[in-house]
Amino acid sequence: MKDSCAATSELLERYFDHEVSDEERSGIETHIEDCSACRDRIKTMEGLRNLLKSPVDEVEQKEDFSRVWLRIERGIQPEETPAWGESIRRWIDLILRKRVWVPAAAVIVAIFLALAPSVLKRSPSSSDPSVVEYVESQDYNVMVYESEKGNVTVIWLFEGPEKEGLSPS
Amino acid sequence: MEHDETKLISRCQEGDQEALKQIFDLYHNKVYRVAYGVLRHREEALDIVQEVFIKLFRSIRDFKRESRLSTYLYRMTVNTAIDHLRKMGKARVSSLDEEEAIQPAEEPERRPDRIFLYKELEGKVNEALNKLPVDQRTAMVLREVEGLSYQEIAETMKSSIGTVMSRLHYGRKRMQELLKDYLQEGAGK
Repeated sequence: MKDSCAATSELLERYFDHEVSDEERSGIETHIEDCSACRDRIKTMEGLRNLLKSPVDEVEQKEDFSRVWLRIERGIQPEETPAWGESIRRWIDLILRKRVWVPAAAVIVAIFLALAPSVLKRSPSSSDPSVVEYVESQDYNVMVYESEKGNVTVIWLFEGPEKEGLSPS
Repeated sequence: MEHDETKLISRCQEGDQEALKQIFDLYHNKVYRVAYGVLRHREEALDIVQEVFIKLFRSIRDFKRESRLSTYLYRMTVNTAIDHLRKMGKARVSSLDEEEAIQPAEEPERRPDRIFLYKELEGKVNEALNKLPVDQRTAMVLREVEGLSYQEIAETMKSSIGTVMSRLHYGRKRMQELLKDYLQEGAGK
């Protein structure tokens, strides 16, 4: 390496990184023409750059970044959920601004009308009617209970009022 | 382009996810390259890309436009990758058997002996990078992999241009020493 190379060492690195003025570039290029040591230093720096950069270029082409975007989308989703107060405010704004309450009310009424018959049918007040008969006679009173579907029949037999009055002897 | 980017940032600041997607499309390669350059691990680099864009979406309201968006993203990437390195332990050296190791793309290079040499070389480069102080390593990646100017590196790393030059100088010197066997071959190309 020539003595002048020590002076150009820092300049050579800036030249390699394209960080020199036109005047500096011209000076260093004149020097390099005559200096094999500096030419070798530049080649070594190029070799190192290549060692660092080439693997990154290679690997970058193999990656599927759409998969990463899906993960990002999921990652930012919770941020979209507003606080309760904010959420209520947004709903009120939406209702007042867009007049969505007219179709919304219509939908609610329609759903109620569609479901009402089945709801009322299932209510306890309209439970299956049963047949109850009560027959009185002098000796006995009979009460017969039969469910509407006929699968349950209960018969009670009571002693008549006159017999009830008689104490067993 | 700059005008479009300003609009994109404004939309993103209003919570527009579609704007974030467009920013992602513009910059994910740059973020990935820096993350991979620092970490030298594919899955971890992809995790950093994900983390950086989620952070961007959450913090973009604080972006004052004093620097360019690319610089802001580079800075977030470098900081996230360095945090990750510190968590994982700096001594992590990739194994030659690691699936992540890169294989050369061209057909003649796919011969097993060439692949082995390539993996060995990749391992040696990673080992050498691991021996650098993290600031030198980051400066090297930003300059050699991403081709940033001294000014851009200084803004990204929040340091002076003189410091950047010093980090590059000592980083190169150390790497050249550690990889001298491989660089002699490369220098002749």
